[in-house]
Amino acid sequence: MTTKRKAAKSSKSSPKRKTPARSARTAFAMATNSEKTPKQRIAAMSEVPLAVCENDENLQAILNVLRNEAEPVPVRLAALQSLQAASFSVISFQPCRADYIATLRKIATDPDPEIRQRALGILARDKDGFAQKKLIQGLQNPDQALLPPEKALQLLSNDVHAEAYAIAREMVKNPPNEIAKQEALRLLAADAESAPIFEKHLRDKEETREVREISAAALQSINPQKMHAEARKIVLDKSDHDDIQATSLTALATTSDDTEAAFIDEELFKEVERLRSKGSANVKKSARRFLSKFGR
Amino acid sequence: MSNAVSTRPQSESEFASMVDGLALDPQRSGELIAMLREDHPVYEQRGTNTIVRMRGWILLALAQVGVTDDSLIFVLEELDTGVDAYLVAAAARALRTYNQPSAALVPFVMRAFNTVRYHDDPVSFDGYGDYADSSNFTTPTRELIKTLAWLGAHAREVLPELRSLRTQGLSKKIKDEIDLAIEAIERDGPAVAAKDCCEFRGSLRDTLFWALGSRSPTETIKAVVFEDHKGELITFRDFFRDRPSIVAFFYTRCDNPLKCSLTIAKLARIQKLLVEKGVADRIQTAAITYDPGFDSARRLQTYGKDRGLELSSQHRMLRATEGMDLLSRHFNLGVNFIESLVSRHRLELYILDAQGRIAASFERIHWEEQQVVEKAIEVLNEKVADQTPAVQEQIARKDKRARTAGVMGAIASLGVAFFPKCPICWAGYLSMLGIAGLDQIPYSPWLQPVFVGMIFLNLLSVWLRSRLTGGMIGFYLVSVGAAAIMVSRIGHGSKAAGLAGFALTLAGSLLSTLRSAGPRFPFQGKWSNLFFQPPVR
Amino acid sequence: MNVELEINNSASADARFVSWAPSPCRIRMTNPAGAPGPQVNVTLTCVSASASAGLVVFRRNPTGAFSSSITLPVPVSGATVPFFVAGRFGRPSVNNNDVKIEARAGTTLIGGIKLMVRIRKDANSLTAAERDRFVNAFAKLNNQGAGRFVDFRNMHTLVSSPQAHGAPGFLPWHRAYLLDLERELQAIDPSVALPYWRFDKPAPRLFTRDFMGVSNAVGRVQFTAGHPFIFWTTDGVQGINRIPLNNWAPTTQAAPGARTEAATLALGAQFSGFRTMEGNPHGTAHTVWDGSISDIPTAAKDPLFFLLHCNVDRLWAKWQRQNARFNPAQAGSFSGSGSNPIGHNLPDTMWPWNGITGGSRPPTAPGGALAGSPCVNAPGAQPMVRDTFDFQGSVSAGSRLGFDYDDVALA
Repeated sequence: MTTKRKAAKSSKSSPKRKTPARSARTAFAMATNSEKTPKQRIAAMSEVPLAVCENDENLQAILNVLRNEAEPVPVRLAALQSLQAASFSVISFQPCRADYIATLRKIATDPDPEIRQRALGILARDKDGFAQKKLIQGLQNPDQALLPPEKALQLLSNDVHAEAYAIAREMVKNPPNEIAKQEALRLLAADAESAPIFEKHLRDKEETREVREISAAALQSINPQKMHAEARKIVLDKSDHDDIQATSLTALATTSDDTEAAFIDEELFKEVERLRSKGSANVKKSARRFLSKFGR
Repeated sequence: MSNAVSTRPQSESEFASMVDGLALDPQRSGELIAMLREDHPVYEQRGTNTIVRMRGWILLALAQVGVTDDSLIFVLEELDTGVDAYLVAAAARALRTYNQPSAALVPFVMRAFNTVRYHDDPVSFDGYGDYADSSNFTTPTRELIKTLAWLGAHAREVLPELRSLRTQGLSKKIKDEIDLAIEAIERDGPAVAAKDCCEFRGSLRDTLFWALGSRSPTETIKAVVFEDHKGELITFRDFFRDRPSIVAFFYTRCDNPLKCSLTIAKLARIQKLLVEKGVADRIQTAAITYDPGFDSARRLQTYGKDRGLELSSQHRMLRATEGMDLLSRHFNLGVNFIESLVSRHRLELYILDAQGRIAASFERIHWEEQQVVEKAIEVLNEKVADQTPAVQEQIARKDKRARTAGVMGAIASLGVAFFPKCPICWAGYLSMLGIAGLDQIPYSPWLQPVFVGMIFLNLLSVWLRSRLTGGMIGFYLVSVGAAAIMVSRIGHGSKAAGLAGFALTLAGSLLSTLRSAGPRFPFQGKWSNLFFQPPVR
Repeated sequence: MNVELEINNSASADARFVSWAPSPCRIRMTNPAGAPGPQVNVTLTCVSASASAGLVVFRRNPTGAFSSSITLPVPVSGATVPFFVAGRFGRPSVNNNDVKIEARAGTTLIGGIKLMVRIRKDANSLTAAERDRFVNAFAKLNNQGAGRFVDFRNMHTLVSSPQAHGAPGFLPWHRAYLLDLERELQAIDPSVALPYWRFDKPAPRLFTRDFMGVSNAVGRVQFTAGHPFIFWTTDGVQGINRIPLNNWAPTTQAAPGARTEAATLALGAQFSGFRTMEGNPHGTAHTVWDGSISDIPTAAKDPLFFLLHCNVDRLWAKWQRQNARFNPAQAGSFSGSGSNPIGHNLPDTMWPWNGITGGSRPPTAPGGALAGSPCVNAPGAQPMVRDTFDFQGSVSAGSRLGFDYDDVALA
């Protein structure tokens, strides 16, 4: 039997094993085929990351799916996810990156809000100037906003240099909604000059738990001594809320330096020991954690 | 800084128009260059990415008028320390308009290539503030490869690297550019002798030196108050004196790994070099933050230790609690802010002399640790005799004051060291003196038991002191001394033995008094020795 | 009569931790009073604190079968006698010191030692106590942005990513990264082992406010009051951003599109095929979320990142066991060595632990050398890629890395 016939016989009798690369190419063909159902294409997209950067044709095919507003949104999002997954393989993604970033900027103004949000999110996490400019413009002029203000603020907080402090302060003073206020406060936590804002919100018992928690964390970062002083007052104040007491105890328990030492005394220990047995579940847990730090 | 450039707040489009106008007027290119200083008012209260757009546009404007010797440093700075795709691409493009291609430029281009290679974002130079969002773009690696092509024969040394890159997973467009660059370099003829590296760096003026006598006084900043990494307060005057200092500026929230993080890591290597050269106690180091509001003592300490800095009273991290603006003016710091946050800064490291005056500066381009240390040692060894008579007289007056203070200080230090610190020490001294005194009194039988008693009292007191401090050497010396004294009394006596015994008793008593808890050595952090091992792949 | 026992050949309490791989131990007589002769037969048995606590097994020699007890002739001279202890597969500890080895001469108890079978577990199966210890230790490492965690965050950025991604060194680098972090956690609380997020299964007990948190509408992760992660801070900003995409519910559904464990292990017996898992399930597990974890520059800001990668490493460990790929020199255990980018070849030391900066390495090297362990010596302060393979000491006992997974038995 000749070699050729042997090979043909062999290929008929046993199926060719699919390597991961081969599977990816097959999946790629399915994912970019507009005649397949969205469900089929989305399922295929998860196998695609390996094939995305094999050549320029593959890359452009999947980017075309992402850019094409006529494609079903779920398919476009699946294409985006494949590209994102491929981008983790930095070395092999190198040939694709420039086109990928350009496409993200293009779809940052897409009619679909989720596509906009995903694209701007990826760009913002990369500290992209285009994304920051668009997000700030949207906060300053709501009619140009590409995202809800709370999401824009959250994405801007990925870069402390993003020029967003002024707008964030404005959002705290006149918040369009409660979550936007919270995100604005988080963003300001990197601003050393905002300590008075956080002190004020932390002390205000009428504030929501989330706002007081954010303020506690921010103050802990900017001015730990002030935070420990406030934490002590909160714990000793029997009329304050359980939740913020638990948070305050955690603040005191989880620092690893001595800045809190000046605010720890027998009066505080006594009250924390009381909370350990009489407080709510969260307070008890925080109290135990606090006391165990000091060997009690 | 030119007054011709408007410093009133401008919109970005107004700024871009202004730059466009300057680019068209060759007589005003100096104003373009002036605007590349980080502390230029046009950048005040601008965010980092806004500044990127602005500086990029200036670099592109310089490319229109042609990069000169005066502006070259800014272009190379961007290639050497820049991480933003737009700025690196603009700098690479601008470099191609310089009128002196040189092999000395190749390392800058290759360094930038390695920096941006996996962050090769698309950029557009079509209009101010444009961001590439279509297939019509360039990238920093493409611009850099084009610059290698422009360098032609000067870039022959990188041909092997370019050929190797060609086989790696790069995009087709970049591979095409590499092919063109290889062709251009090969076509340009044989390798060209490089301008002497040192001569080239000297022409950049990124390192400046001031001779003794020409250094600015420090009167305006003497009273600036710093808090160090341990929370201790100290003034400029009290820290920066008596010995030269190597001072780096940085801040912990810098997100350019080629700037602050690397600066502090290199300062740690400088510290090691100082130790190797035996001058670590004669040259101090300091890292001063641009961001005193945020960089608390705790943050400073963590940041420094994580990068291998050895921190002590002579090697500190500092933040100015008062007078940061005075400091900024004195050093002419290359930094700008948006509110309290640094928006842009350059690399800057200074060597101060023993009076705290700036003797040398290293700016913009990465400095070599060896070079900095050598300069600092030069400053340490500055000879007064080499200076002008007026300067010599001035220095002599200052030195005399310093010497007097030094001698008094030394005497006081000795006194403190040997002053009895506890009752046992007093007993030791007195008993020792008693032994000496008794020895001088003419012989009398009743003095013998007293003499022996004094010896044992001395022995006992030194033994107790030794047990307290953990150091037994003093006791051993006194024991031998006591034995020698006893031997000197036997028979005809031996004056030599008696003298030796007394000397040993004195030495042992003083030693036991001097010993305290023992020295504490700086913790050798996890980074110790890593930079001085042989290169490992 | 008394004997003294040492685990991992160390008298330190910090060394009393074992995994499935055998730990070298020793016993010696400290008080021979009442000994009938020059040596005494001492029987070692294991006592478990509860039915759910750990159990250990013994063997006399470096190789051979394990047994639930062992009898050793211990000389009264005080000379040490070596033996080996390993956790019994399937019975990891739940608390520190919940296992005790008792030493008896006949029926008389003459010594004992408490230890822990410390194993990396499915995060979804942790007890409340295990979960809380892990969270507490992790929060302390973060220390509200000022702790050692900042180095781990800075090890995984876009600038440094070529050292660890897109080439064969991806799995070894991340194994070393996780090991370094775990040892730092153990320096805070030695009973802690890094848990893993089994992303191909629902995880109802992981994504709760008591553990990894629950996302609000805008993608901000929320915790119970007083939870230590409330103060989690990275890059100067407090909070964790993470939200599941496409209405996926991680408490009731596996990560959509993520390759199952079986499919991952079926990628092939050769490393060149298996390592494509970097795309899926690894890349997929990252990108089923919107938030920090979904992109390289910010992924390590989210503590979930480390549980995700712990599962990635577990899959590699399982694949290694399935295909006997513990020896890096063996064909099929690795791929392309010698022609891979720097840091991705077997003899390459790995950044940042090697401290090498500049050129093709990143400009700085945060964190310094890889953390040591009181239990094992490997992989050393500056590990090479090849030092990460033999984590159970199957090829060479000295290569043991001191960790194991709850569902990957000893080879």
